[in-house]
Amino acid sequence: MGEKNVSMAVDLGGVRMKNPVNTASGTFGFGKQFEGFFDVARLGAITTKGCSAVPWAGNPAPRMCEVPSGMMNTVGLANPGVAGMVEQFGDYLAGLEDRDCRVIVQAAGHSVEEYVAAVEKIEELCPWASGVEMNISCPNIARGGALVGGTPESAAEVVRAVRPRVHRPLLVKMAPVRVPEIARACEAEGADALSLINTINGMSIDVRTRRSRLSKPTGGVSGPAIHAIAVRMVWEAANAVKIPVNGMGGVASWQDAAEMILAGATSVTVGTANFYDPTCASRVVDGLAAWAAEQGVADINELIGAVEC
Amino acid sequence: MTAVATGLHDVVVASNEPVGDGLMRVVLSAPTLAAKIAAGQFVDVEVPGDASEILRVPLSFSHADPDAGTIEIVYAVVGGGTSRLAAMAPGDATTIVGPCGNPWPLPEGASRACLVAGGVGVTPVVACARMLSASGVAFDAVVGAQTSERLWGVEELDALGAGRVEVTTDDGTAGRRGFTTDALAELLADGSYDVVFTCGPEVMMAGVARLCRESGVRCLVSMERMMCCGFGACGTCNVAMADGSYKSCCKDGPVFDAEEVAW
Repeated sequence: MGEKNVSMAVDLGGVRMKNPVNTASGTFGFGKQFEGFFDVARLGAITTKGCSAVPWAGNPAPRMCEVPSGMMNTVGLANPGVAGMVEQFGDYLAGLEDRDCRVIVQAAGHSVEEYVAAVEKIEELCPWASGVEMNISCPNIARGGALVGGTPESAAEVVRAVRPRVHRPLLVKMAPVRVPEIARACEAEGADALSLINTINGMSIDVRTRRSRLSKPTGGVSGPAIHAIAVRMVWEAANAVKIPVNGMGGVASWQDAAEMILAGATSVTVGTANFYDPTCASRVVDGLAAWAAEQGVADINELIGAVEC
Repeated sequence: MTAVATGLHDVVVASNEPVGDGLMRVVLSAPTLAAKIAAGQFVDVEVPGDASEILRVPLSFSHADPDAGTIEIVYAVVGGGTSRLAAMAPGDATTIVGPCGNPWPLPEGASRACLVAGGVGVTPVVACARMLSASGVAFDAVVGAQTSERLWGVEELDALGAGRVEVTTDDGTAGRRGFTTDALAELLADGSYDVVFTCGPEVMMAGVARLCRESGVRCLVSMERMMCCGFGACGTCNVAMADGSYKSCCKDGPVFDAEEVAW
């Protein structure tokens, strides 16, 4: 029914995706882990696990627990480092680009210096990457654990430091706080796109042992439980800036993805659902195309921000 | 290491019956997986019925039968997921992700093994016994449980050709009263084992590992962790190693050499 005629390509701040579907950092490994489930190259893009300049061990177990309609994690950005990622998955990721699936490499850090070191490594070792996503939702160890991107000023500081060193599209993965102000601060410093939301900080207590159910007092809540909050924050960000928004948070179906697009997301990212429904992102590709056709548009871009409030 | 990619498989419940107090045995018709999965690997089961519990349930299996196309899982009913699984009836359909993790390795030249199972850890141990039996490796076994009502696997191990099967229970209602490590210490005194395979509560496996180290016998342990995916994407199932690093229970394990693990 005309489905084939809908153009699904989107431009996420210079990352040209054949369809709007992306995967969230930390939920999709380095892509290769999903090849046994579906042809990963069907996706518009994938975002790698966040990598730092040197390997990080991450936090002790337990790193996860379940909460109603969601889960919590305190992985602590465990990663093999940029060089380790390239050694293990560089050929696969370069091949994915050749298969017309964009690869966005996420940079992790706890300080301006660590972000700079991470993006410099990515620039050096990942020539195939279509984009760099900087995760500024991490605790800043030098500042007592306050979020690196927790205020417009601190977010601006780190984007300003990294921007001149990234010679390809730069996405900023925002913390789910003070969204319009921080979105504008990142845009002003030259971010090409915004990714949101990251997990929402939460706490879960075992009432018998009186201990946190994670190895740390708090952790990030993700999954369907946070979807409505995420849609609201994507809508706020999209209304605050001119650069495109990569929307995520509890997306587990094409309907959830369509909501994100209507709220103003240019691309939409499947996260926690990858863990329990590993073919979800592939089905979202098909579902969005059918939905766009049903909506009677010629181009999916016509539906971005098309919510009527 | 398995060369088989982890994938998604449609399955149907063939039978699902209690085998003890809080212990169930489900047989899944899983023809696309039964021939690919090896002893020591595990599966991640979608248990429908409660949209508020989103994650799959990772479970070890006791028998994968490629001819029948079935996978047998003996599981403890401990939470929401396993409670809903216990309520599934023959004919109910769901999906499983698998094979997850790596098989039990069979050390080169091993001719005599001992298996040590605690609680529902008996499930992958019975799968291991089947592997040993098929490979012509002689084995004894120790099976421990809280009470006789929660004991499973003794008949299966006997049928698979175990030389001796020692039973221990915490309350003495079956076999000897005490822990698996008490029985293992006596068996190890014979000095005839090349390798020990164990799965059970972590404190028990730590004790088994210590006894094996003292006896100079290699020990392979099957670890358990909370996890989100089962195929190396989430990074939540870390196991602390003796060298201070972490390894992934699903991707690098679940079987580890006991000497690698930080107990």
